[in-house]
Amino acid sequence: MNRIINYLIDVVRGVLFYFSQTKLRTALTLLGITVGVSSIIAIMTVLATFEKSTDQVVADVRTNVFYITRENPIEVSFGNNNKWARNKPKITWSEYEQLKRSLKLTKNMSAVVSEEPSDRTFSVGKKEFKSRLQSFWAADGDMLSLYKYDIVDGRNIQNIDIQNRSRVAIIGSAIKKELFPFVNPVGKEIKIDNIPFEIIALTDEKGEIAGQSMDSMVGIPISTYLKYFGGKWNRTDLQLVLESDSVENIDNATDEAIGVFRAIRKIPPGQPNNFYIATNDQLMDTFGEFTSYLKTFIGLITGISLLVAGIGIANIMLVSLNERIKEIGIRKALGARRSDIFMQFLIEAILISILGGLVGIVLGLSFGNIVALFLEQDPVIPFEWVFYSLQICASMGIIFGLYPAIRASRLNPIDSMRYD
Amino acid sequence: MTKSKKEIIGIRSVSKIYNLGDTVVKALDNVSLSIFENDFISIMGPSGSGKSTLMNIIGCLDVPTNGSYKFNNEKISEMKDSQLADIRNQKIGFVFQTFNLLPKLNALQNVEVPLVYSNLKRLKRTEKAKEALNIVGLSDRINHKPNELSGGQRQRVAIARALVNKPSIILADEPTGNLDSKSGTDILNFFDDLHKAGNTLIIVTHEQSVAKRAKRRIEIFDGKITLDE
Ligand SMILES: Nc1ncnc2c1ncn2[C@@H]1O[C@H](COP(=O)(O)OP(=O)(O)OP(=O)(O)O)[C@@H](O)[C@H]1O
Ligand SMILES: [Mg+2]
Repeated sequence: MNRIINYLIDVVRGVLFYFSQTKLRTALTLLGITVGVSSIIAIMTVLATFEKSTDQVVADVRTNVFYITRENPIEVSFGNNNKWARNKPKITWSEYEQLKRSLKLTKNMSAVVSEEPSDRTFSVGKKEFKSRLQSFWAADGDMLSLYKYDIVDGRNIQNIDIQNRSRVAIIGSAIKKELFPFVNPVGKEIKIDNIPFEIIALTDEKGEIAGQSMDSMVGIPISTYLKYFGGKWNRTDLQLVLESDSVENIDNATDEAIGVFRAIRKIPPGQPNNFYIATNDQLMDTFGEFTSYLKTFIGLITGISLLVAGIGIANIMLVSLNERIKEIGIRKALGARRSDIFMQFLIEAILISILGGLVGIVLGLSFGNIVALFLEQDPVIPFEWVFYSLQICASMGIIFGLYPAIRASRLNPIDSMRYD
Repeated sequence: MTKSKKEIIGIRSVSKIYNLGDTVVKALDNVSLSIFENDFISIMGPSGSGKSTLMNIIGCLDVPTNGSYKFNNEKISEMKDSQLADIRNQKIGFVFQTFNLLPKLNALQNVEVPLVYSNLKRLKRTEKAKEALNIVGLSDRINHKPNELSGGQRQRVAIARALVNKPSIILADEPTGNLDSKSGTDILNFFDDLHKAGNTLIIVTHEQSVAKRAKRRIEIFDGKITLDE
């Protein structure tokens, strides 16, 4: 209808004039929206980075591998360590050997001890390597391929090393850089807690995965570990890494392993397992659960940012309240109906807030992505959140824009014209 | 005085009382007044006597505390908001004592406001608004915002806005108060023409020269009508 078209023209004029007359106020409000939207973008960029690195972890482990451990390693590392888990028995060397003899569907099986981070001292002469993130592991030769390390120079741990409990060690590239900056470490001696080991291999550089340096590591044969670091009663808690012959067979192989291990531990039927068994997929699911907590938390921060943006819009609408009540009085005196006022101010509220929101989003996207560039991340546009931002801005604008309009439209024209 | 003309405004025992805590102001005190089609009325009285209050009630902008008001024989108190809005838009042109222009809009847009609420096409709207501004002699100021106009020019924009919808009743609260004698006379001549064309005019004024043009003179003192001739 003509009436509505008339408002639209009137309203657009009014809004443009409004922005041109209140440059400072508008700029401040847009700043609020920009801060809100930018922080969303920045957070989304960080999240995207984080997700990329978890994808990396997933890609770096093999899917026909499964684990038997005392308790869920991810739950433990996130502090979800309940009493029941702590009461489970440690996995012993003899259990490992019995399992290894009985399993048919498992191609490879290693017992692993992994200290991550480890507080052992790695030293050469007087030089010591000390890092918060260093790791120390003990296993057999399969360990390297399980974690996709390549040997740059030297040889892997062999069965003979396991049998002889040889004092041999594999070192990561960060250890070499620190302790053997100019020479080839292979064949040289390294002391682990003052016990001398011969370096048999240097691995390639892996960088970081999920914040963990993969290169600050030293590895030795599992049997040697048990002899020198296993403690008095040799009750070291082992982690068993098993590999089924194919990805398709992994469920059968896991079932078999559960059955055999229960038999070894003589668990009566109906009792729960007193050990933890999981495939890589299941571990990743647990990991995903953690990221979803993270996302909830981020959602909360984002919500607060959006609220800040919304308050900016609300401010724009409220500050002009007196002015608007007077304007509404004049318009009513000149023949505007209540419904006209409602429509006109609704359109105006939506227009101002969406316009403000859009500018804020454009500025926020630019700002957030400049930050992303500095962090050497790919640019992101979180469309979902752009949409939410607009929605929040619009609803804030409507709520705080219509409130004075509705109030004033109920007054008689003279009272609202006098308002100030 | 009046023959068998139609009564378009019937005010019976109307009071407007402002209760300001300890003091009570009777802006209008038991006023009765009949206004007929094609009346040309001047209202005079000292400052604060209730002239604007009476005009606001006649113009359906304010409601009386007591008494009844019939517009074209219909009780205002029983009308819906939309009916009142349409009366203000179509039937009555109001020139406010304080102009009440919209500061955001330029002269042309201000004059267009009543047309926005009267289902008129946009081009037609601009055309009519320009015509009204021409009548008050402001064709060369249509793009000026109120704060870029002199007091007299603002008053003329307010007059143009009251006339733009060609209402049959014109209520003017001191329409020539800010005008020099030349433009004041121009406006009054135009009011004379409107009266001859059959419109009803009610003008509040302090000037005898203005009151003389009216065909019916009303005087107010302390919220009461003291003269009606
Ligand atoms: N909203 C209000 N609240 C309280 N008192 C009011 C209000 N509006 C008007 N009055 C009082 O009512 C009386 C009449 O006011 P009104 O504006 O009608 O005077 P007026 O005759 O138009 O005066 P002027 O010639 O100065 O314009 C005044 O005493 C004024 O103080
Ligand atoms: Mg007055």
